[in-house]
Amino acid sequence: MFRKILIANRGEIAVRIIRACRDLRISPIAVFSEADAAALHVRLADEAYCIGPASSTQSYLDIESIVAAAERSGAEAIHPGYGFLAENAEFARAVKEAGLIFIGPPPDAMEVMGSKTSARRAAIEAGVPVVPGTTEPLRDYEEARETAIRFGYPVMLKAAAGGGGKGMRQVEIEGELRSAFDAAKSEAASAFGNSDVYLEKIVDRPRHIEIQIFADMQGNSVHLGERECSIQRRHQKVIEECPSPVNDPYLRERMGEAAIKIARAVDYVGAGTVEFLFSDTSREFYFLEMNTRLQVEHPVTELVTGIDLVREQINVAAGASLSFTQEEIHWRGHAIECRVYAEDPENNFFPSPGRITFLRVPSGPGIRDDGGVFEGAEVSIHYDPMISKLATWGRTRAEAIDRMRRALDEYAIGGIKTTLSFFREIVRDEEFIAARLDTGFISRFNQRREERPSERPHPAGGSQASSLQQDIAIIAAALSYLRSQSQSPTSHTPQDESKWKIAGRAAGLNRTALKKRSEHP
Amino acid sequence: MKLRASIGEYQTDIQILAEASRLSADIGGRRYEVNVLELDGGGYLFISDGRIFDCRVEGRPQSGRTIDVIVRTESYAIAITDPKRLRGSKAVDVHIVEAAHIVAPMPGKVVRILVKVGEQISAGNGIMVVEAMKMQNEMKSPKTGVVAALNVQVGATVNRGDVLAVVE
Repeated sequence: MFRKILIANRGEIAVRIIRACRDLRISPIAVFSEADAAALHVRLADEAYCIGPASSTQSYLDIESIVAAAERSGAEAIHPGYGFLAENAEFARAVKEAGLIFIGPPPDAMEVMGSKTSARRAAIEAGVPVVPGTTEPLRDYEEARETAIRFGYPVMLKAAAGGGGKGMRQVEIEGELRSAFDAAKSEAASAFGNSDVYLEKIVDRPRHIEIQIFADMQGNSVHLGERECSIQRRHQKVIEECPSPVNDPYLRERMGEAAIKIARAVDYVGAGTVEFLFSDTSREFYFLEMNTRLQVEHPVTELVTGIDLVREQINVAAGASLSFTQEEIHWRGHAIECRVYAEDPENNFFPSPGRITFLRVPSGPGIRDDGGVFEGAEVSIHYDPMISKLATWGRTRAEAIDRMRRALDEYAIGGIKTTLSFFREIVRDEEFIAARLDTGFISRFNQRREERPSERPHPAGGSQASSLQQDIAIIAAALSYLRSQSQSPTSHTPQDESKWKIAGRAAGLNRTALKKRSEHP
Repeated sequence: MKLRASIGEYQTDIQILAEASRLSADIGGRRYEVNVLELDGGGYLFISDGRIFDCRVEGRPQSGRTIDVIVRTESYAIAITDPKRLRGSKAVDVHIVEAAHIVAPMPGKVVRILVKVGEQISAGNGIMVVEAMKMQNEMKSPKTGVVAALNVQVGATVNRGDVLAVVE
């Protein structure tokens, strides 16, 4: 087993990996940018090395500095987390060439799956169904236009090197294609350093269901069931569940087998996720892509299977065989995860960076919070705005929702806007409770929200209880104003003060300072 | 102290008197006697007839400035206006401005400008693309009109509240 692991990441995932290291009595080594000198992952590590300025291209994406930090620290392995360099084959090779172990799949497998077009080819060869789309990056706008006409609108533009919704644009009509094509290319270039985009037909009202797989170097490969990630906005997952509310053991078996086939086709090792689109009506599934890393939403699988995926990743990277067989995996109860973002749901989910002035994290039965911040922490504009993942477990989906509602109400984050208020509404939404989910859920939810008469209490109408709460808010605002007045009496502004007095006081201070100095030469 | 409070379109007078932990308030004729505990970090704990209200005030209140007050899980955007402060200050401007200001909602970088000064545009047209936190956001015009000013160039770093463009 390793003695030291360097974690080439930041935020909550770096903290998550540090926790697995601690469980295994491995010393965790952090790296950080200048903006993260006092970040939580640095504070929890045994050693930490600065790898460059705030901008991620000069720090968390700088392969040379990270490998140099690993060599300097004496780490035997590097865990890349997710995002940044996690799916960068060049990085995996550089780690290997430095004589270190990359905690992830072999670079060749990453390369095949890293390009969505070659991944599609691999899936087709493995006999797994795929969504109609191009298998090569689009040469130019003209090719995009012709392909879109062939598939029929709506279509989806996707970055070949992509993930996390970046470089991705849904196009409804040809008039939107030009600007979407340019935007997707430029976003792909800035996020992944590769502007290749390709085009896919859109499946009507699909569920996004993915299979967690795991493989070791001894040739064992298993699946740990599915996660449903249909609730997305801007093609980014915001709520994930395990199992999918579809909860069909036969379907799980079929999708699991397909996922393992794809993993075997590329000699996969470690944790990986195969994403599918699932049509509720035809009950068919289509391969979407494979993520060759730990997923953000891995906690829901951990809660339901009881398996620590990060610990298993480290074991497998150290050469051990999987600690469980397919038959030993059991799915118990239901787990839900909400990704808490520093974004303003009232303002089109615009990022809301700033200092966290207040933080109360929920706990109690069935609650797990994977956070990367603390009270006083700065949510920087330089990085992803996700600040924590709140997950709950219950014996049934209904119980998991009850606990999520309770935990969201307990959760309080001050100083910045977050998506907590948005989640509080979702867990009370009838469609969500009834599990009528597909990737269009959020836009329909937003529509329902707009159509619903404002629930904001108004003293003229509104229930007595809600208008009481609003009055309490007014009292708090007035009291806070009152206190700010008594703290800085305005009759005593600096301009009113005599310049002589100010000068005299300064001179007095200097004298005492001098006296002190002469007393202690 | 007599103040005026507004939440959205709703406005009311408020009079409060705080003595130690006792607070009495009159909000547009509704009278309250509550106990208040001041908490660290701008928080208050109110007890009214045995009912608990955990509150947090975000931002430093100033006369006429909107602040967020969170009561339990509900957030209220409230502006407190102090009548004593109105006299001295420049009259609060309420004349209707025809121009729409496109304001940066957060710090970021201008990556593309989609219009030219003098260009006729309709409501919903993109004006520029601002990148922040790795996401590119298109700033759209809220109204139909003519681009009267573009205050930034491609590559410029902008701060929250900066006026990026004006549409008249």
